[in-house]
Amino acid sequence: MTRLLRVTPSGAAGLAFAAFAFLAIPLLAGKLWLSVFTSTACFAMACSGVAFMYARLGMVSLTQVGLMGVGGWVMLRLNHAYALPFEINLIVAGLVTMVFGWLLALPALRLRGLYLALVTLMAAGGLEIIFATFQFPNGGEGFWGVKTGSAGAFRRPALAQSAEAYFRYTVALVTAGFLLIEFHRRLKPGRAWALIRRSEAAAMSAGVNVTLYKTWAFGIAGLLAGVSGAMLAGSLGLLDDATFRASESIMLFALAVVGGARYWLGVVIAATLYRILPALLNNWGVDADLSFVIFGAGLLHAVITAPDGIAGQLGDLLRRVVRRPSKDTPEDRPKDAPA
Amino acid sequence: MTEIANVTVRFGGVVALNDVSASFTQPVSGIIGPNGAGKTTLMNVLSGFVRVTSGSVSQDGTDFLRLAPHRRARWGLRRSFQREEIAGDLTVFDNVLVQADNAPGGDRAAEVSEMLAHVGLADRADKMGRDLNSFERRLTDIAKCMVGTPRLIMFDEPGGGLSVDETKQLGALILSIRDKTGAQVLVIDHDVELIRAICSETLVLDFGRRIAFGPTADVLADPKVKAAYLGTEEVTP
Repeated sequence: MTRLLRVTPSGAAGLAFAAFAFLAIPLLAGKLWLSVFTSTACFAMACSGVAFMYARLGMVSLTQVGLMGVGGWVMLRLNHAYALPFEINLIVAGLVTMVFGWLLALPALRLRGLYLALVTLMAAGGLEIIFATFQFPNGGEGFWGVKTGSAGAFRRPALAQSAEAYFRYTVALVTAGFLLIEFHRRLKPGRAWALIRRSEAAAMSAGVNVTLYKTWAFGIAGLLAGVSGAMLAGSLGLLDDATFRASESIMLFALAVVGGARYWLGVVIAATLYRILPALLNNWGVDADLSFVIFGAGLLHAVITAPDGIAGQLGDLLRRVVRRPSKDTPEDRPKDAPA
Repeated sequence: MTEIANVTVRFGGVVALNDVSASFTQPVSGIIGPNGAGKTTLMNVLSGFVRVTSGSVSQDGTDFLRLAPHRRARWGLRRSFQREEIAGDLTVFDNVLVQADNAPGGDRAAEVSEMLAHVGLADRADKMGRDLNSFERRLTDIAKCMVGTPRLIMFDEPGGGLSVDETKQLGALILSIRDKTGAQVLVIDHDVELIRAICSETLVLDFGRRIAFGPTADVLADPKVKAAYLGTEEVTP
């Protein structure tokens, strides 16, 4: 129990950052920027799932934003169909997406590396077509719940009716999502995942049920994607299929590599680049598509010089400042990580 | 007793093991042979990583071929690999605990600590796997094999890359396993001196066939074994 609750310096910094975001951002940001920050927090939660799969198991999943769409779809459908509390809808959306994650895991369990990435990308493509064809529920009749004209009202949580409170609610959930991953990392699943990443044969020889633990990881990534999609639906009140294109999943994964998939800060950097940078460019009157050029440069930088991403570089810099050399070795990184 | 009966393994047109049989009854037994003889293939058959074309493998009446690899581990099968498979981002303690996590038993932490002390790594328990030298990694592997009530432990070239002193220490550790855990041990190695020092019986493979099996001293004196290792003199006019 002591090991489980031990707070590392990195963990303390993460909690301090979450506390700062929770307390300060709603006081400092205007309504438009608060919406951008809430969306950023939602994508940070989704990104944490894909980064965790890559950093802990070396698995590349390119469906994460598509799975967010599943969570968002379930949340909107339940919101418009029933008068259930927001939290019930949120739990159901997370669980349904987790099951989607498991279903996705079934064909992917025997695959690794490029082939796994391709299978998950195909799944993202399938979801993109479904979302584009049937759209997201907006209070209409029937199974798909789509109507023309203005969307029905969205019920936010009783605790978080205002934009400020909803942002804080989101930050609390994102922090819980990060802690869920960290607790797993410190317990039996984390040990099993570390050995699976090292060698599946060694893991099986240690009695690890590789199929179970890979499925478990897909389930966690699905749960986080589902909850983040549901939170995004709650933030905006309605969803657009363009948000959940397959290319967005590739972008989110690439940015997780740029930010540093092994670190909470890397995930925050990835979500910031993904949502805040384009908004900033817009704010400055610059075409937001310039962000793609910046992302490309960031990815090249990560591939060539920073395999642990920007967060890894910042950590190294900090260690150099306090004169503690980095102990990371290439074998601690996913096997297909850039050298 | 580990019973290997008429095991044949084919990879396409290549016969990796050809009708190999042996009954290992001693606490520590060896498997030797030149490169490509089929030693590691036989270990992979026992571990469940390679399917047999025909034959059977059992230990104390349990048919291994019916069990998935991770179920064999839970039953009590342990193995090490030629390259130590230690996760660099886990501590030594956690590297051993992974094995105990997936085995029946009571106080896992206490057992892990006990085995780490037995192999001489008690003061390294909190070190990260990536910070160990190759001998410490090998010792961690041995501790890992000893936790969780093992019944059969297989070491694949445990002496590879070790110094003479380290190999001696390793041999003594392997000999202590039976008393400490009750498990039977199978050792694959090229180091004939290590096999001679610790194995009571030895199976010799060459080109996938059994060419000798029995008490180690007798086996190592067998002309066929010497020929397999050293070759035969070819006299040309």
